[in-house]
Amino acid sequence: MPPSIHPVDLVTALRHKHLTPAIVFLTSRRACDEAMDAFDHADLVLPPVRQEAIATALERVIAQYPSIAEHPLIPIVQRIGVAAHHAGHLPSWKIAIEELMRQGHLDAVFATTTLAAGVDFPARTVVITQSSIRKSRDFTDLTIGEVQQIAGRAGRRGKDHVGFAVITPSPYIDLSVLTKGLTGQPEAIDSQFTISYPMVLNLLKAHPHEHIQGILAKSFAQFQLNQRAELLERKLDLLHAQLEPFGPRVCTDWITQWQSFDHVRRHRPARHQTHRSESPEIAARLPFLTPGRVVGLHKGHGIVLRQYRSKGQKNSMLTMLRPGGAVTECPVTSVREVYDRTYDCTEIATYPWCAADTFDRLSEQLEELPLRLPILPILASPSAEILPDAIVQSLDDFPCPTCSSRSACQKDFPTASRLRQEQHRHTKSIQALRTSLWHRFQERVDVLQTFGYLTSTAQLTADGDWARLIRIDHSLLITELIRAEAFTGADPSLLTGIMASLAHDDDRPGAFPRISAGLSSLLRQVRKLAESLTPHDDPPLLRADVAALAERWVAEPTLTWIGLCRLTTMAEGDIYRLLARTIEFLSQLQTLKATHPYLADSAAEALTLIRRGVLEELP
Amino acid sequence: MTTDELEQLLAQQPVALLHRLARGRVHRQFRAGKRRLIELLLQHSSHNRAGLEFDLQALLEERQSQSESGGRRSQHPPPITRKKTTPQAPVSALPEPAISLTGWLEGIGVPEPQPFVPDPWQTEALSALSETDVVISVPTGSGKTYVAIEAARRAMEDNRTVIYTSPLKALSNTKYTEFSRLFGPDKVGILTGDRQEHGQAPLLIMTTEILRNLLYDAASGEIDIRLDTLGLVILDESQYIADHERGVVWEETIIFCPSQAKLLLLSASIGNPQDIADWLTSIRPTACRLVRHSKRTVPLRAGYLHPNGKLTPLFRTLGIPYGHPSQLHPEAKRLFLEYEEQTLPSGRSRR
Ligand SMILES: Nc1ncnc2c1ncn2[C@@H]1O[C@H](COP(=O)(O)OP(=O)(O)OP(=O)(O)O)[C@@H](O)[C@H]1O
Ligand SMILES: [Mg+2]
Repeated sequence: MPPSIHPVDLVTALRHKHLTPAIVFLTSRRACDEAMDAFDHADLVLPPVRQEAIATALERVIAQYPSIAEHPLIPIVQRIGVAAHHAGHLPSWKIAIEELMRQGHLDAVFATTTLAAGVDFPARTVVITQSSIRKSRDFTDLTIGEVQQIAGRAGRRGKDHVGFAVITPSPYIDLSVLTKGLTGQPEAIDSQFTISYPMVLNLLKAHPHEHIQGILAKSFAQFQLNQRAELLERKLDLLHAQLEPFGPRVCTDWITQWQSFDHVRRHRPARHQTHRSESPEIAARLPFLTPGRVVGLHKGHGIVLRQYRSKGQKNSMLTMLRPGGAVTECPVTSVREVYDRTYDCTEIATYPWCAADTFDRLSEQLEELPLRLPILPILASPSAEILPDAIVQSLDDFPCPTCSSRSACQKDFPTASRLRQEQHRHTKSIQALRTSLWHRFQERVDVLQTFGYLTSTAQLTADGDWARLIRIDHSLLITELIRAEAFTGADPSLLTGIMASLAHDDDRPGAFPRISAGLSSLLRQVRKLAESLTPHDDPPLLRADVAALAERWVAEPTLTWIGLCRLTTMAEGDIYRLLARTIEFLSQLQTLKATHPYLADSAAEALTLIRRGVLEELP
Repeated sequence: MTTDELEQLLAQQPVALLHRLARGRVHRQFRAGKRRLIELLLQHSSHNRAGLEFDLQALLEERQSQSESGGRRSQHPPPITRKKTTPQAPVSALPEPAISLTGWLEGIGVPEPQPFVPDPWQTEALSALSETDVVISVPTGSGKTYVAIEAARRAMEDNRTVIYTSPLKALSNTKYTEFSRLFGPDKVGILTGDRQEHGQAPLLIMTTEILRNLLYDAASGEIDIRLDTLGLVILDESQYIADHERGVVWEETIIFCPSQAKLLLLSASIGNPQDIADWLTSIRPTACRLVRHSKRTVPLRAGYLHPNGKLTPLFRTLGIPYGHPSQLHPEAKRLFLEYEEQTLPSGRSRR
């Protein structure tokens, strides 16, 4: 038995059961082309009436798109009524085949799955031969949505009572992927929002910096992040309820207190100094976190009552007065802001670590604090360690040993502490979900500031103002090249070559014409700059061979399309796509007329030169 | 069904059926007598009553159709696969014998020409569109273009500009031809990076990237009269919002779409169209309307074609057994196993 059905047998079988017209989805363009070759000597010829009908219909399309007049597949299409349709073909050829199919002249079209999306191309039957597709160099299983998009081409409204999806196996097919795909619910889709440099520049051109967070919040990305955050918030509520029985006891925050006590207790024999591991930022804050200092915490304000360090604990700790007269313990890392405000504080050596009248006064002052306070600018100095003599606690500092709730604390601590850790984790995740887009935006802003497209106050510089008009992939590389005057004096063909090498993202090998010395040296320069930008942007492939091909098309206005195709092994559909992408890139350069007239003119000239022959046929 | 009713119904059934029902539910069910079995089943049903009732119903229907078809029964009825919530209840059901090839091919052909009558969902989408944004998520080939065309016509009659975007230049070109034929060439324009044809026409076709660029230009102060009179933006194939590289362009376009213009999103079937609609509601002036259905207009059947040319239905049922991927036709199953055995590298040598 053959590993897959022979194309001629397939079409015969489909015709026999009246399952035509059919679209046969094959794994590769090669497979489609080989299928066509298989019909070379086939005796499945159509009756003359149908052959003539195809010829007439084709003539009409050819009148509009002369480029396909000599297409090598035309004889088979006319004689047998089958065709191939894939990305290796010219758009005009694909239009012709789609038109023939729409008019019902063809029995089968061999196509790759690129056809499944977007092209208006229905048939009675769809033949599926694969369960995976090539996506950026890897084969991945078809999703349910993709299987249904493919199968969905079967059954034309108004022309068919029923549509048929026929699976015929080829090696490596996984039938269960297809049966699940046919019977399942399509997957939910997720936002793929990314923040690009041009997006940042264009947003900041039109909106003040402080409005941007609100704009990013309108994205589907943030909508979906919020959905996840809400889920966590519900979990947080649950945790809150579960923590209810573990509220204040003899001391308000007995969980932290017990933890510290437990720590000291266990580490009693080891009397050596703990290693101080604060980051420079935290270390720099410590001298300011003295009794009486007002700080911002995750929720609201607090006043520092004491700073201490437990044995064996990584971070310095703070005892904090919180609204409502609560006294809590927290690590210094949980301090969000250190405010430029302190109050008098009479310290004492036992809980609550300040005199009773101080305690009352501070509690009142805390309630009356305004929401916004000036932030103390603290400069971290990475070299000089400014560390205060934090108190190293001993067991005597703890009331726990003699406390009346000692046994309860001991018993509840494991559960309570686990719940609280979970609470902290969720709180952090929620925070991250709410702010991640904004952080990503800020990262881009930082880079654009370093390169001088944005001022320190995030306004567009003169360079930023024109750079925002380059809204394509590798925009940073392109604008940097322009600033480095790499294109000064570059003629249209050189410019085309470079843009083609930037626009082309396919690594399929092939044979190509020789590259000119000028383009070759300019490409070297581009490559060097691209490498230096790798921390900020993925580098393009920058293939010299495809650059040379595009250069030739513009440098030699007398070169015909067929002549160009002969220069390379690249399929003509790929050449077309390469040049079409290059047109998009060049047309962006054209918009820089006001600031870079020479470059814009050169791009405009390149565009007129590219747009000839086949590239004239479609807008 | 109340517990009493359920108990009565169970008591009316033959023990064999109760045993099948008890499979996977009651431990060592064959040792229990009928009374005890019912008791155990009812006990069990206290935490999954719906599952029990569902399976009972299925068994009853099976019995009924069996008696109708003279007791014919396939030898190995495959178990119903069902949602993960009741994994322990594999009940052999499935009354009907697998469909025959002749049955499967029946009804093939071309329907009589019918006068065009819009589907209810098309009418619903169009009337909603006069008030607010609309998201349409329906299967391929349902007729989304009709909604786009009618909506465009109405907006143009209102002297409003309409922009239609597609993800692919190829599709843009097809629509350009189609819409020009429909509305007249001077009414329809197309915009690409470097070219415009009828750039001032009231109905403009472009890729989504081009529209995004227009919106950015307008936001930074460039005057574009076409955007001032914009009444409708149609985003075809908008499931592209999930495209890894280009999806972000759809988000940008939707975020910056002028609020006076209505948005019409046309999408193939996706799992969470409600999310898209809710998102639009949260950022646009009016509450977005979701129009969705998953039923194909032209019914679909699936088949299996063996490399030797033998054709068989893929599933036991005539149509696609939605939700039941393992209801394979016995013949398709046999042929595919044979295929795998012969083509797998480790298998027997290929002939
Ligand atoms: N109400 C209707 N009655 C009969 N035929 C209809 C109706 N609406 C649309 N059609 C026809 O259905 C066919 C498919 O329509 P259309 O191309 O709009 O599908 P679609 O939903 O856009 O599919 P795709 O997902 O492939 O883009 C067309 O030939 C159209 O004329
Ligand atoms: Mg469509």
